Amino acid sequence: MNSKTAFYIVKRLALALLTVWVVITVTFFVMHAVPGGPFLSEKAISETAMKALEAKYGMDKPLHVQYFTYLKDIVTKFDFGPSLKQRGRTVIDIISDGMKTSVKLGLVAAFIALVSGVVLGAIAALRRNKIIDKIIMVLTTAFVSMPSFIMGVLLLILFVIQLKWLPGNGNAKGGLLLPIITLSLYPMAYITRLTRSSMLDVLGQDYIRTAKAKGVSKWKIIFGHAMKNSLIPVITYFGPMLAYIVTGSIVVEQIFAVPGIGRQFVSSIINRDYPMIMGTTIVLAILIVVMNLVSDILYKVVDPRIKLD
Amino acid sequence: MKKFVALFLALAMMLTLFAACGKKDDGGKDVDKPSGEVSAEQINVCIASEPDTIDPALNSAVDGATLIAHLFSGLAKWEQDDSGKLEIVADAATELTEGVENEDGTVTYTYTLRDGLTWSDGQPLTANDFIFAWNRAASQELGADYGYMFEVVDGYAAMQEEGATDAKLNATAVDDKTIEVTLTTAVPYWNELLAFPTYFPVREDVVENEAWATDPATYVSNGPYKLAAWEHNSLITLEKNDSYYDADAITMKKINFYLSDDANNMLANFKNGDWQLIDDVPTNEIASLKEEYPDEFKITGQLGTYYVCWNINEDILPEGSDLSGVEAEAAREEIRNAISLLFDRNYIVNDVAQGGQVPASSFVAMGLTDADGSTEFYQNAGHNDAFDGYYDVSQDALQSNYDSAVETLKKYYKFEDGKFTDFPTLTYLYNTSEGHKAIGEYLQSALANIGINMTLENQEWNTFLNTRKEGNYSIARNGWLADYNDPISFLDMWTTASGNNDVQFGKGDNATMAHYSLDLTAQGYEDVKVENGTWAETYDVLINKIKTCTDDTVRYELMHIAEDMLMSTGCLCPLYYYTDLFMISSSVNGYFSNPLGYKYFMYTTISE
Repeated sequence: MNSKTAFYIVKRLALALLTVWVVITVTFFVMHAVPGGPFLSEKAISETAMKALEAKYGMDKPLHVQYFTYLKDIVTKFDFGPSLKQRGRTVIDIISDGMKTSVKLGLVAAFIALVSGVVLGAIAALRRNKIIDKIIMVLTTAFVSMPSFIMGVLLLILFVIQLKWLPGNGNAKGGLLLPIITLSLYPMAYITRLTRSSMLDVLGQDYIRTAKAKGVSKWKIIFGHAMKNSLIPVITYFGPMLAYIVTGSIVVEQIFAVPGIGRQFVSSIINRDYPMIMGTTIVLAILIVVMNLVSDILYKVVDPRIKLD
Repeated sequence: MKKFVALFLALAMMLTLFAACGKKDDGGKDVDKPSGEVSAEQINVCIASEPDTIDPALNSAVDGATLIAHLFSGLAKWEQDDSGKLEIVADAATELTEGVENEDGTVTYTYTLRDGLTWSDGQPLTANDFIFAWNRAASQELGADYGYMFEVVDGYAAMQEEGATDAKLNATAVDDKTIEVTLTTAVPYWNELLAFPTYFPVREDVVENEAWATDPATYVSNGPYKLAAWEHNSLITLEKNDSYYDADAITMKKINFYLSDDANNMLANFKNGDWQLIDDVPTNEIASLKEEYPDEFKITGQLGTYYVCWNINEDILPEGSDLSGVEAEAAREEIRNAISLLFDRNYIVNDVAQGGQVPASSFVAMGLTDADGSTEFYQNAGHNDAFDGYYDVSQDALQSNYDSAVETLKKYYKFEDGKFTDFPTLTYLYNTSEGHKAIGEYLQSALANIGINMTLENQEWNTFLNTRKEGNYSIARNGWLADYNDPISFLDMWTTASGNNDVQFGKGDNATMAHYSLDLTAQGYEDVKVENGTWAETYDVLINKIKTCTDDTVRYELMHIAEDMLMSTGCLCPLYYYTDLFMISSSVNGYFSNPLGYKYFMYTTISE
């Protein structure tokens, strides 16, 4: 790694920090501007109890004081505070519980999307305009144009309600299968299409013709020359794909009752569980920022022609 | 060659897919997940998603209460006798004693704990644990939703004063096995309170750890079950506590509470036999489930009312009306009451809500009993013999209700071609939900029939709660479930200072409205005779009298007067009494639930 790359990474990290800080600040003030509060319920508690609770969680102080206290706790102690709804549990504790499931879900979905997308794309390119190419293209068009909440519900109706093959509950054995498929279909279809077009592009390049003319075997051309170069666009998609999976999991976890961070995010907003809202938002923001950074760096590793600046 | 390549690639893809699936299953193995395993030793149920808390003092939800009722043992508990009748019996106490009235009118109860009671970690349970738990639950510092459940105990009021940190409830541990507690007055539902989770004991050294109730390792209880495992958002497992004094009577060894609030998901698991009880079903499936599962689809009563509430300060008189002050309020009362007559409650329950609900004609719900302990309170409400409650909600009365409503409204509004032309546009506020929306749409169409425009506005739950509490609405959806079988739990929420006073009685313009009258001389209160007083001078006084009244007959009379006052304002328009819908497998025997909706699985057995 040369100094230029190192400088680039440092610069990007600084930018990432700035992004996270902006996210924290905006979320904090928007969240408090939304009507309602964590201690409201159908059965109201008394004024004195409300005041005692607000004092206990420091919510009786002016908003800007709360904001700086919050920032200070995160920076100096990495303390995200207690959950206001699940009393007795800390935000870190709840989030790490959810992350266990979400990471498993996300990684498996990403892996499936990547592998099957590249393979299907390559098949489609090699069998261009043949029946298998057409089938793949029709299916991927359908998957790319269908949002995950429609796909999820469709799969739920088909495999859980009608066929009864799989559980509709993310906790049950095999329960993560449907959410994984739901999450992976869109990026898989996208990667298939990317791979297909870039593979076709590469196969038409002069150096491939040269290789062919030199009598290099077909296998060597595909795996040695074509595949590696046609993967560059796929790697650029790596970051957006993980972002899609992270945000998609918010909806998908809700549909399949998967106890992950996406579901915690939604319920924390409904409950106005302020520290939980902040905690989940920060974690999701960091995930997306880091994933984008990693994919940009990978981009350079795969294609040395690309300059980082 | 090309074919071979394609085949190879396809094979590679299949293999990775399998590898991925295999990996996932490995992940599932690290915890014992009994879903699908049906045996006579355990029952799989789903009553709700992750409970907010299972700390007995902090819990205010029905699902949490169900868990706590299995994990803890208070002085009293709910049980079903051989004939299927529910009763409250002594649990940790040897017997539920009668109170002894003191000279100052307070009442003292003395309880003796059973011999050899222990906590789930083996330590002995003492009377002090109860005293500590009660003071903790009632304290300002804890700020529990249900802290007010101790308001009947002497000393509670002093504890709620600002800065009162040393105040304690008038309850003491005479020795390790004797509890003495003094109530401000005789309370007919006292035994029921003793069976309420907020009154269950906790141990001081256990709850010192604020996170004690979130982890099986730190969760120490004293009931028929122990918290064996808690996978957050996924599964809570209870295992029988062999050191519980009545362990021999507990038939179910293990209860798995699956945590989900997705009705479709619940139904799928019930249908494939994985779960034996689910506490929710998708609304659009209710009709077909009733047919498909006649023995397993259950509807039971609940102590609650679904109603529409008006903001009392919302002016609904036509523009240019010359009425003002008390006269205007009297007119608005008449108008609101007339509008209550326009709705077909049978249509709402049969065609819109479809959950076996019962059309409501009173605010105090069906299921709450009157002074004699057997007749329903609502049957004696409304002072008429022809029907129960304040209006006739039968199908036959629909036309006459409609006619009388239109006649009343004609007094205040212009009526042309069967429509009122100068009724101001109303806005109906509800929290986002298909069910509430459907009911809102029906109400809208019923009003549109006579020319009244009502627009629908929905808000997300927490925003809605805030808007309604602040009184920033004209009409809103509302609902109330009682905490115990006593009408006061429906009535004391409407005092001026109550946090649940969504109607805004005695607030804003209504604070100075000298329009209400109260005469309790016939009930023996010579000093209570108010004519044209404010809400605070009448209703608040009345509730106070009810709370201090020791004669049951008089007390119930007073409660009827209170409901009369509420209903005469027209601000509460009851639509139906709540029911609890659930599905239970026919292989389960010995299950019961109490009127508050707590479900009891300890005495169940499963026939295979």
